[in-house]
Amino acid sequence: MARTLTQIPEQSGTPIHSQAGGRASEKAVDREVKKEPCPRAKKLRDLYFQTFSSASNEFPYWYTRRYNQLEGEIPVVRRAAALKEAFSHLTPTILPGELLVMGKTHHYRGSFPMPWLSEGYYMAKEDELYKVALAKGSSTVDELSQFGNGGGNVTQSFGNVVSIAGKFGMRREEIPALLRTAREWVGKSVDDLGHKYEQMVPAYPMKEAVMRAIVCMFDSGFTLPQGREVINYYYPLEYGFDGLIHMAREKKAEVAGRADGDGWAGMNRLYNYEAVVLILEGIQSWILNYAKEARRLADFETEPQQQREYRDIAQRLDSVAHSKPTTFPEAMQMIWTVHVAVLNEDAISGLSPGRVGQVLYPYYEQDKAAGRITDDEVLEWLQLQRVKFTCIDCFASMGVVGGVLSGNTFNNLSLGGLTKDGRSAANDLEKLIIEAAIRCTSTQPTLTVLYDDKLPEDFLLKATECNKTGTGYPAWVNNRGAIDFILNQYGPEGMTVEEARAVAIGGCLETSPCSWLPLHLNAQEYWILGGSGQPTSVGVHFISLPKVLELVLFDGVDQRTGQGVYPPHGKKLESYEEIVAVFQHYFRLTVDCLTTTNNIQHDVWRKQNMAVFNSLLKPDCLLKGHLINELGYRYNGTYNVESCGTINLVNSLAAIKKLVFDDQAASLEDLKRALSDNFGFKTALEVGSFSLAEQERKDETGKWDRIHYLCLTAPKYGNDDPYADTILKEWENWFCRMCHDYESLYAKPMYACQISVSTHAPMGTATIATPDGRLSGTTFADASLSAYPGTDRNGPYALFESATVWDHSMSQNSQMNLKLHPTAVQGMQGCKKLLALTQAYMRKGGFHIQYNIVDSKMLRDAQQNPDSYRGLMVRVAGFTQYWVEIGKPIQDEVIARTEYEAL
Amino acid sequence: METVLKHMDCRNFAAVDVAKGICHRTKKLVLADAERCEHCVSTQKCKFCLHFVAAEQYLGTCNAVPEQPMTYPDLITVTCEKFTAALPRTGNQQQDATG
Repeated sequence: MARTLTQIPEQSGTPIHSQAGGRASEKAVDREVKKEPCPRAKKLRDLYFQTFSSASNEFPYWYTRRYNQLEGEIPVVRRAAALKEAFSHLTPTILPGELLVMGKTHHYRGSFPMPWLSEGYYMAKEDELYKVALAKGSSTVDELSQFGNGGGNVTQSFGNVVSIAGKFGMRREEIPALLRTAREWVGKSVDDLGHKYEQMVPAYPMKEAVMRAIVCMFDSGFTLPQGREVINYYYPLEYGFDGLIHMAREKKAEVAGRADGDGWAGMNRLYNYEAVVLILEGIQSWILNYAKEARRLADFETEPQQQREYRDIAQRLDSVAHSKPTTFPEAMQMIWTVHVAVLNEDAISGLSPGRVGQVLYPYYEQDKAAGRITDDEVLEWLQLQRVKFTCIDCFASMGVVGGVLSGNTFNNLSLGGLTKDGRSAANDLEKLIIEAAIRCTSTQPTLTVLYDDKLPEDFLLKATECNKTGTGYPAWVNNRGAIDFILNQYGPEGMTVEEARAVAIGGCLETSPCSWLPLHLNAQEYWILGGSGQPTSVGVHFISLPKVLELVLFDGVDQRTGQGVYPPHGKKLESYEEIVAVFQHYFRLTVDCLTTTNNIQHDVWRKQNMAVFNSLLKPDCLLKGHLINELGYRYNGTYNVESCGTINLVNSLAAIKKLVFDDQAASLEDLKRALSDNFGFKTALEVGSFSLAEQERKDETGKWDRIHYLCLTAPKYGNDDPYADTILKEWENWFCRMCHDYESLYAKPMYACQISVSTHAPMGTATIATPDGRLSGTTFADASLSAYPGTDRNGPYALFESATVWDHSMSQNSQMNLKLHPTAVQGMQGCKKLLALTQAYMRKGGFHIQYNIVDSKMLRDAQQNPDSYRGLMVRVAGFTQYWVEIGKPIQDEVIARTEYEAL
Repeated sequence: METVLKHMDCRNFAAVDVAKGICHRTKKLVLADAERCEHCVSTQKCKFCLHFVAAEQYLGTCNAVPEQPMTYPDLITVTCEKFTAALPRTGNQQQDATG
């Protein structure tokens, strides 16, 4: 049998360690903190575990039907009317035991395609989908009884269920109508129109080549045009939907026929307010349909408690449809309804609730004081909210949902941070939110602590207790660093220190601008906060840094496909500096062609598919009468440039510098030949594993052993070694500044965003061996500052020294994952160690850290026996995902990460 | 054409996903495609509507509005203000208009 990369050095006495700081016990150790959800949440979460990811055609059907009726109408009004029609016709489903109700569709874990964004996928698959749909259904009970196995992904068609994109199931009866609906959008969708005009960019052919080579993963304009932002619940909480409709009608009368000094867009305000009224009416109908259903069920129900609960649901919904909430349960229902409504308006991933414990605190405080609610009841509501958030699915193509997102929806709930006047903002409700997340472990909402030295220790220790559930949450983010970034990026748009303190995380860990707004509840005023910036899921997403280096070394030619991507540079690359200069040149070409083409896609989106509901929620759209597309948001400079594979780039540059130029131990040509021959190893696909350690040799000639050894033992990031760390610092200083040279369609400077999500897997698959010794097709290092697995040999504090050689506040984020063995942080002493570790990193200026506190042996067992681990979760990048629902390349990568046995 | 109606055609069927739902009467999970029980109350779908005209398989048109848009038999119409029951919606002699 061929030897693996792990076995080779073991046999020569220099093993690669996957453990650091000691050795784990032979027996797998379970997570220390394990609690049970309340019975109601448990029942509903167990149901989720049995639920398939389900797509339906109801929303697209009604949207398209109304849109077609309104040919010639003003675009924003036409879109709002179509949305109203779709919301008004969603079938309400309420399940027994639910208190918090409403969902994206009538399915528990439902979603739907939006062909007005992109219909190409269905058209390309039309024949295949038709065939599956029209084939005779053989829906035996045996076939259908397979539900619940291997997570909720519908990877294959079965019975009367057709698999779409390897994830979503759709009823076969709906497929022909879906295809007919999608056909209506050919040539009109954001994808099609954007494509028509992006081809007019001179660099378009390069953009195509960049996408084919997987230098970049996806277009943001028509895939997920919004998201990675913080929602704002303020306006419905303060005014209620009737109040907002009244306000919009008043504004209509005020602005009708008046430009008010704005010759470009002043007149648009009338149409925008008309659109606001329409969408709000649609959302009211949607809520009232659920209320009607709750009353129907109450009339039908014979069991008294369930009957009472249905009546209470109906009453809450009737109230929420019209008025501002006055109790904690009503506020919970209101924010959930608003959240789902935004998600149904557009394809969005990473719509974060933000600092919701601070938003809901007034209701909690007053209900508690009045004896209307107990902490146990609040805990139940918070657990039910977790189940609801976990049921959110986002419908997009396989490449986006699987390759980029690992099926996650990134509803990140932020905790802590500072108040408007600079005090700790942590409160008792936030501690209950953490407790709910400990009891009802689930992927959504994930949690992030905005760490500040002012936060009380009991709150911080509660968060470390949560970390020990092994769920990967909460992540820890440096509040001061986030404020610095926000002030730098949004200062020109009026951001102040006071407002910067409202910061929260959108998506995985996208620092997002928010604002303070005064909420009035029973004659008391509270300053609550919510998002006030555009999405940050937009811009250039993601650039594979190791792939760009491959193209530098091979004169612009993709070694996987043999296709030219960039103009040949024709240089001999005779110095390290020359390699860096060509890299920077190619990188600039990449950012430029992707920025210009994506700007066009987003411009089509804003003309045809603008957000109406999400816009009215965010300051200052209602006040100004301008929606997102007309710079109605308070902060608009949110477009970014995302990177992937930073540490493989840094380690590769360090290896080239050391081997080729400093030590002259190998020529660049020999190194390139070794890379082309994958250092004598098989490809990752041939081996069936994407972890470096498990790669197998092609033969025993050992032709490239020496050079591979030199590459593997060259200086590596993560060891407090200035040789590699200086390269990281130089890269960050250049990258974070160069992004400002590029401008979004809103004429705002772009900035660096450094998260990998799941792109380090598919991008690794598309990249040949790299000079750091990584083999072809294997996954890159995760995140942006995690060490490459097995290469951080000097402990976590050395890793922190390496990671903080640069100023993290230059970037929207940085990202570091650490994997700790459960025994390393056992007991209260372990909690304190974990907190001290976190504080050490934050105080050095690290932006973000998160922990997988899990025994790797358990993960290996879960890979072999997935059916025994339906509830097992791991932290992938900035998100937690069910183990059974992530792809093998990412599973291999998480297993391979260095496991710290002690701190 | 007469077809066997399923749990998913019942008003008491709360869809959980594309394959199953919860019966509000029994509170138990039932398969969407399994034959309905004797307590079934048909839900509102295009295929049970007076305005629905069946066309090719799984497609049809809606005659309730002048544009006569495309629709499909299994579109749930509990929220459709134009829905008009074509046939008695209880009992075991129900007809299906899926063509």
